Amino acid sequence: MIKIISQIVGLLVLLLAATLITLKLKNQGADGPSVLFPGGKLVSGELYRGTEPDWSFTDDVFTIELQTNDPMSSRRIFVMESQGKVYVPSGYMRSFLGKLWKDWAFEVEEGGNLAVARINGVRYERVLVRVMDPSVVQGVAKKLAQKYAGGETPEAVAQIAKSVADGDTWVFEMAPRSS
Amino acid sequence: MNNRTYAKLCGGVTLVWVLGLMFVAPFAELIEGSMLLFLSTSAR
Repeated sequence: MIKIISQIVGLLVLLLAATLITLKLKNQGADGPSVLFPGGKLVSGELYRGTEPDWSFTDDVFTIELQTNDPMSSRRIFVMESQGKVYVPSGYMRSFLGKLWKDWAFEVEEGGNLAVARINGVRYERVLVRVMDPSVVQGVAKKLAQKYAGGETPEAVAQIAKSVADGDTWVFEMAPRSS
Repeated sequence: MNNRTYAKLCGGVTLVWVLGLMFVAPFAELIEGSMLLFLSTSAR
């Protein structure tokens, strides 16, 4: 009985390892990320060259694809518009999983902040700037709660704002590269 | 199950599994979605 259980567990561990390796290798050079695994450079889609867009259209967008350049990789991420600017969050930053999963955010913080966002098939060249100003965070927290946390309740907004202040969640503005 | 049979079983199942992940997009998406759900509910 113990041998059978051990064999089943062994097979499941083998399948898990094969899954992680296969999906990571399959996606690392792809044009964009999969649901969970980072992708490569975003190459398809029109490259936006116009004036700063009205980012309120992102209220109807659940996730975007965000490419960071150093090192080149892309991932799906939430997006929030607030006060005419557009932001992306990165959660779990102080958790064990976050330290493994969110390496792109640490790399941006260290200077690799050039990015390309693909939203509804259009690519936007941006630069990521971490936001800590409580007045800005408050607006972003409201949109984050409204879109992703079940509603803009005072409790949800306060929890998100605290998460940012504590460093568990990082918020980056996707600023235009010319600024 | 003896070790030789077990090794063959593991090899065969893993091969089919990997090929499914590589070439059957809905299967890969199902597996990834399940992993994401697990991580989302387990992260602290």
